Amino acid sequence: MAAEGSASFFRLNAVDRHGRRIDPVVLAAVEEVYPRAFAHGLRLLGDPAVVTDLLEEVAADVSQSIKTKDPPGDPEPIRNLPGYIFTTFKRRVNTLKHKELMMLEAAAVANASKLAWTDPSRQLELKILLDEFLAQFDSIVQDMLCRYLVGFSWKEIGKVHGLSPHAAEARFSHAMQQARERLKI
Amino acid sequence: MRDKKRKETSDEEFFGFAKSYLSEAFPNPQRVGCPPDHQLTLQAEHPQETDPAVIQHVTSCSPCFVRYMEILADLKRLKAG
Repeated sequence: MAAEGSASFFRLNAVDRHGRRIDPVVLAAVEEVYPRAFAHGLRLLGDPAVVTDLLEEVAADVSQSIKTKDPPGDPEPIRNLPGYIFTTFKRRVNTLKHKELMMLEAAAVANASKLAWTDPSRQLELKILLDEFLAQFDSIVQDMLCRYLVGFSWKEIGKVHGLSPHAAEARFSHAMQQARERLKI
Repeated sequence: MRDKKRKETSDEEFFGFAKSYLSEAFPNPQRVGCPPDHQLTLQAEHPQETDPAVIQHVTSCSPCFVRYMEILADLKRLKAG
């Protein structure tokens, strides 16, 4: 874990939050990229403690990797260790950010459906729209809806129905639009 | 731009509602008129080869809708893997 300190000056420890040791050579390389990595991580993740923890984890991973791949007596150092660490760190930040966005998206969808269920007039409006949509449109559009709800892409939906991705999306959007216009919703 | 954002939010709400509603609003404990599982699998894999009545039943029977969602999710996982 990152050492205590002011928010603007977080320091790296020689051990990550899981208690794994960081090789002194790796620690020196991390210190070299620290300002750049810290600024990048802070911009995307927003929490200096999380950024420092993540950097320490990367350093511990790299230390273990070096230890495993370079047994004593046969050293084969990574040519650009600071660059390698920075790239690995950036990849971890992106993965973390992607997970965070996925969770926010899932929460927004869950919240949207919860809102609809708790507001009777909104619920009725959506029910009428859905009934209209299902009643007026053919089995292909109904199947497209099911696939879309599971998370199929338009490419996948189009392929299974013998349509291009654009044609599949256009057919579905047109059906939605027609239902909305007919009901003036 | 704002209209597009509003439309997206509204579509999101519609799809969230559709999934919850279709999963729960049409209980069919006696499983009246339900197609066998292999028909749902065929619908998922080759929708052009199945009777349109199958998908029409799926969207009006919550147990079949839930099962069809499971089959589609498995199919998606298989294709991704």
